[in-house]
Amino acid sequence: MTTETMTTKRELPQGIGRLSTGWIAFFAAMVAVTVVGLYAYFQQLGNGLIVTGLRDLGTGGGATWGLYVAYYVYFIGVSFAGITVAALIRIFKIEKLEPVARMGELLTVVSLILGALAILADLEHPWRAIVNLFEFGRPQSPFFGTFSMVIAGYLFASLVYLYVTSRRDAARLALQPSRFQGLYRFLAAGYEDTPEQRRIDRRATFWLAIAILPLLVIAHSTVGFVFGLQVGRPGWFGSLQAPGFVVLAGVSGIGNLIMLAAIVRWATKTEKRITVDAFAWLAKLLLGLLLVYLYFTAVEILTITYQASAAEQVLSDALLKGTYAWIFWGAIVSLVAAAVLLTWKALTRRWTIAAAVAAGILVNIGAVAKRYLIVVPSQTHGQLLPYPIGSYTPNWVEFAVVFGLFSLGAIMIGVFMKVFPIVPLEEAEQ
Amino acid sequence: MTTRGWITTAIAVVGVGLMVVSYLFWTTPACNTTVACSNPRVPFAAGIFVLGVLIAFSAGAFYSVYKGGK
Repeated sequence: MTTETMTTKRELPQGIGRLSTGWIAFFAAMVAVTVVGLYAYFQQLGNGLIVTGLRDLGTGGGATWGLYVAYYVYFIGVSFAGITVAALIRIFKIEKLEPVARMGELLTVVSLILGALAILADLEHPWRAIVNLFEFGRPQSPFFGTFSMVIAGYLFASLVYLYVTSRRDAARLALQPSRFQGLYRFLAAGYEDTPEQRRIDRRATFWLAIAILPLLVIAHSTVGFVFGLQVGRPGWFGSLQAPGFVVLAGVSGIGNLIMLAAIVRWATKTEKRITVDAFAWLAKLLLGLLLVYLYFTAVEILTITYQASAAEQVLSDALLKGTYAWIFWGAIVSLVAAAVLLTWKALTRRWTIAAAVAAGILVNIGAVAKRYLIVVPSQTHGQLLPYPIGSYTPNWVEFAVVFGLFSLGAIMIGVFMKVFPIVPLEEAEQ
Repeated sequence: MTTRGWITTAIAVVGVGLMVVSYLFWTTPACNTTVACSNPRVPFAAGIFVLGVLIAFSAGAFYSVYKGGK
């Protein structure tokens, strides 16, 4: 009993450093999928984009932006949630969401890395593109804004935020002998848990949150401008693209955070920390954003069907009753079902984790479909010049790379959970 | 203001300054009429803009980590 107690005392909280059979199986599966993705990517790097389903626009009869760009937009959207929730907690002091703040920040960092990799996967010569961007890029271009604001600025700001909010836990864990003690000491960087240091950290995180929130809106709007400023492409050019991107980013991001919070709650046995109230807060936030996005979608449908130009008419026909109709209506059904579910829960005030997770899954199915529809149909059907209608079908290489990215993200989150507390420590857990 | 506050402000100002100068002046092409002069006035000005973003946000980490006195 004494030995057991001592062993328990030496163990780090939340299963850190302990590899269960289930975790090892999960890790091995994710590594296997990532390796397949890498193999597919090297096939593409060696032979060119011809091994994918991507083809030239117009005379090529295809789409130059496909699954990679759709998932780039999706991953960047997911990044919205984490830092927004973390910032809202700091600014408005929503204490019930404190336990999900760090996993939100982590989700932001991981999804931004995946977004950057997705856009690099779309390039036949990624290294050349990176050098040219920094040497010749012009910030007036939304493409530059996307890379500098979203990838560099937003990712770095999120990393700084994650670091500042994690130092206290690192300092606490550094006091306990463990295989990660050196790492914790390094991360703590001499942190001393004094009232003065806490005041400093509160001030630092508050001002970082204030600086990040406008950056977040600019960053997500800029991704929208990549499409919304292209006057020669029916379906893309429009003022609703930027706000639509911001709102759908929030929807998919909050949905992902709900799913991650449920998994973490189960895996780390933190049921008492991550309460139903936390899920209820996230679900209410999700419902608000979802209703705004559904309004945008209704406006979009009305606009493209009311009195569209000939080119817009071809595109809207493909979306509403043609090639892409099953994806479009599938997305609408998913989003509306999630809205109905959340509204019912809000009216009855009986929030459950299962309902929140179901809504999170539904909105992400809808978000992926909507991202695909934003990227692809305007290239295959939105022609102002007299080109024939094109087509695009992603092949195994693209699917393998995208699944590989998802697996890489799961590995990053899984490893983080085994090295550092993904749920901020309570005083009692010191 | 404390030493921490002064240095943090200085880091943030340097970062934002680099962003503003590179955005408004260095990345601006000398002309828009020929390809020859359509590059940014300063090579890697876009990279300098990104560097400014990184420096500006590193002020937050400095503010938290700095251990100097008032």
